[in-house]
Amino acid sequence: MSNMEKYTKAFCQAFEIDEETAKKLKFQDIPAWDSVGHMGLVAQLEEAFDIMLEPDDIVDLSSFEKGQEILAKYDITF
Amino acid sequence: MIDYSPMNIKIWSRLGSCGAFGQAALFLPEINDKVVMLTADLCTFSGLDRFKLKYPDYLFNFGIAEQNMVGVAGGFAKEGFVPFATTYATFASMRCADQIKVNMGYMNLPIKLVGLTAGLSVGVLGATHMSLEDVAVMRSVPNVVILSPADCTATIKATIAAAQIDAPVYLRLSGTMNNPIVYKEDFDFEIGKAITLKEGKDVAIIAIGSMVYNSLKAAEILEQNGVSAKVVDMHTIKPLDKEAIQDVLKNKLIVTVEEHSIVGGLGSAVAEELALLKQRPPHLIIGVNGAYPHAASYPYLLDQAGLTPEKIASKIENTYKEIC
Repeated sequence: MSNMEKYTKAFCQAFEIDEETAKKLKFQDIPAWDSVGHMGLVAQLEEAFDIMLEPDDIVDLSSFEKGQEILAKYDITF
Repeated sequence: MIDYSPMNIKIWSRLGSCGAFGQAALFLPEINDKVVMLTADLCTFSGLDRFKLKYPDYLFNFGIAEQNMVGVAGGFAKEGFVPFATTYATFASMRCADQIKVNMGYMNLPIKLVGLTAGLSVGVLGATHMSLEDVAVMRSVPNVVILSPADCTATIKATIAAAQIDAPVYLRLSGTMNNPIVYKEDFDFEIGKAITLKEGKDVAIIAIGSMVYNSLKAAEILEQNGVSAKVVDMHTIKPLDKEAIQDVLKNKLIVTVEEHSIVGGLGSAVAEELALLKQRPPHLIIGVNGAYPHAASYPYLLDQAGLTPEKIASKIENTYKEIC
């Protein structure tokens, strides 16, 4: 599975949404992406890429797009 | 039904004990439709935003009026409801002491008082928000059951157990977000029944809340240094598991570890249990000793209080070598 597939899957599983919705998603666009859902997404990403996100990065994770930028810091390329 | 999957356990750990409490709260109406949530201006901080959306008629926010909240909780309980009342542990236990005495102690009403951020975890807010005396206060009030879960999965279990018992309960939540995981899978949580997490023949470490994980880590250090340590999660401080205390009498040193003052907490509870025994091992009480620390980060405060795994291990090893 490619990194983009793993990344998209993490969003889909965290919020129970389809890929199309995931790719346009921003924080609080849907009820599921609230503060609890946010930590669910963090956990899914950490599990998928075997990383531990820094607190500042968790706060900055505000959209599907931004997340890719953040993961680049952890040597994850798309 | 709650799914104790590895992913959920990781998510609860990421949320911290307050968030995990909120997750457990979502399931409570399925267990008992008389459950209501009361909070003193800490709806989001108590992890109750989703509960508020799902059950808007069952959540009551009192603003910064904790004593009023506990009084109203007493009224709810008297009418057959199961009220959970949440606020910072220090305000829950000390600001509301009179309401606790009358409603939970004297009237024995099954209020579930939830003390958030017990210990030093919101130490950045200063001594006013640290809660180092809450167990001492709550232990002295008759009838009150005191629970101190070791991690976020245990918090879920303890919240459900509190809802199911017909007694006043003080649920002491410690640690921060990204709370270390002690229980990696589903486990049996029974009020009053301690859990032995690791066997050991030299030292017996009895711990509560956030200190259970640190004690397990301290035990690893001790093992490396040739001291075999048993670790017990005493998640119920009151009533204390007397069998578990009997069981540690065969160790050479008993140690209690708590993120609380060394006066009146777990150490005192265990010492009271040991006091009348003619023969027993020495008992080392590890906790916060002395004046209130200045405002600082949680890791710094734990280090200053000697409650990191390394400092716990060092204290135990020194005592063990000195007297055993």
